[in-house]
Amino acid sequence: MSNRTFLKALRKNGNALAGAAGVGIILCLGLFAPLIAPFPAGYTIEVLQPPSTSHFFGTDKLGLDVFAQIIWGARTSLQVSLIAVAVSGFIGIPLGLVSGYFNGKAGAAIDLAIEVFLTLPVLALMIVAAAALGASITAVAVLIGLFAWPSLARVCRNTTLKVSQTSYIEAAKCSGLPVASILFKHILANIIGPVIVNLTMAMAGAILSESGLSFLGLGDPATWSWGLILKKAWEAGAVLASPNPWWWWLFPSLFIMIYVVSFNLLGNGINDALNPKGQ
Amino acid sequence: MDSIMEVVNLHKQFEIKTGLLTKAKINAVDGVSFNLVAGETLGVVGESGSGKSTLGRTILKLTNADSGKVIYKGEDLVPLTSKQMKRHRSQLQMIFQDPYASLNPRLKVGTSISEPMLANNPSLGRDEAKRSAIELLELVGLSPQMYNLYPHEFSGGQRQRISIARAIAPKPSIIVCDEAVSALDVSVQAQMLNLFNELKEKLSLTYIFIGHDLSVIKYISDRILVMYLGQVVELAPTDAIFGSKMHPYTQALVSAVPEPNATKRQSKRIILEGDIPSPGSVPKGCQFASRCFMKMKMCMEAAPNLTEVEEGHLVRCHHHARLKKAAQDVPNG
Repeated sequence: MSNRTFLKALRKNGNALAGAAGVGIILCLGLFAPLIAPFPAGYTIEVLQPPSTSHFFGTDKLGLDVFAQIIWGARTSLQVSLIAVAVSGFIGIPLGLVSGYFNGKAGAAIDLAIEVFLTLPVLALMIVAAAALGASITAVAVLIGLFAWPSLARVCRNTTLKVSQTSYIEAAKCSGLPVASILFKHILANIIGPVIVNLTMAMAGAILSESGLSFLGLGDPATWSWGLILKKAWEAGAVLASPNPWWWWLFPSLFIMIYVVSFNLLGNGINDALNPKGQ
Repeated sequence: MDSIMEVVNLHKQFEIKTGLLTKAKINAVDGVSFNLVAGETLGVVGESGSGKSTLGRTILKLTNADSGKVIYKGEDLVPLTSKQMKRHRSQLQMIFQDPYASLNPRLKVGTSISEPMLANNPSLGRDEAKRSAIELLELVGLSPQMYNLYPHEFSGGQRQRISIARAIAPKPSIIVCDEAVSALDVSVQAQMLNLFNELKEKLSLTYIFIGHDLSVIKYISDRILVMYLGQVVELAPTDAIFGSKMHPYTQALVSAVPEPNATKRQSKRIILEGDIPSPGSVPKGCQFASRCFMKMKMCMEAAPNLTEVEEGHLVRCHHHARLKKAAQDVPNG
């Protein structure tokens, strides 16, 4: 399918457009955070203010603007998920290609490794590893990536298995092309659709992991993230308090949800646009 | 007659799952030997499942043979690693059956053609490769402007021309054409066969032309190799196959070719009963005996050998002496 028909199909898909819009908004918030609001630090006297025109999402117990925290949190979220997805891509794509293309003993061994990694209790291991590595945003991101590659590798392997059987790959072998060129030029170009879908979904998964780790206190306390806001709100008893400062915990939760839903909708939309018959 | 390639006792088995835990080995290529004469077109015919495609793929080392030899330029290709094979790669090319699956949909057709040239001769340079690719497009009857188009913009026949251009790009000496015209319309088939013959003259190629359509194979081949269940049952010059055809299987195949000229039409059409037996449970004795209209007791007991009945005419049948006599009695029968 040509790129033009793909974009046309994507544009007709309402869900994909909504997802793309959500991703776009979060991307803008993250990119332009310093222009929108100063980095929230220190404390002010305007504690626990409900949402108003001066504080869109109210303030927390230290009098810091929740909206500013969320904007800067968007930056962290994007940073974490991009690094995590890059790490899982660097591991998962080559492993998937190699195991699909050399579908003998090497392929079976990699497939077994994928299976084993898929059955690991990921969250428990991530908690242990994060505690051992110490609180740095890059360390957390790399760690998430290190646990996210198996599903990507499996998608890559399955699609590569199919593409490797086609005559054009046989022809490429026949013409004496180097294996790297067959894998990364001929095969990858033909499985890029499912790979992009998986990477997009992985963006959503990464942020769920990051929020979880931050909420448990295993994130980076020096930068804002949505999980960290929730952790502070929880520790201050804001979730169960009465009268309840709902703006403190509701808005970060909403943003996590918007982020996850947007990337999932976009991923599904790309998938549908690539397989018009599957709808 | 200069031999350009010699295939000796080539074997290739596949493992298939027959049940949850049981596996069976099937002989896709079962002791095939022949020599390929430089400049000839060797037609390979047989039903589906006779192992003719596997034979082609094994010769080119797209799958590895279990045993046997493929001698090319004095060197046995079978034990070569893919790295060692590299020096012969450009010489041995393949054209595939399905024109819709044989071109990478994500590559411009020009890239598909120039890539093999660059891979085998990196000193060529991109501009020179592009110029040669455009020449090749013209050679196979397409226009130079098509260099920048993608495969989906072409018809089946045009795609097959592009596949041919890609195959001849690294200047091969042998091309295996695996059902190369089977997927095309009859009118397009004729054009393609002429193109194959033209290119053979111009570029002094040798073809192994695999097919199931005997009228196509008859038109293009100098010699014909008939396969049944992975074995050669008959190997002879085209005229001999269609003139004094000997093996009962070949007789049945030939009788199935439609004859447009009513006066030449044979009254007797040989209908074979049943299907090709599952290669997993090959009968003892002659493999063809279960479907043969000439079978006798001995056919069920002992497997016949490939016997040279005339110079350059090999037949695998116990009745070859009788068949030969019958063929002489009825000329052009």
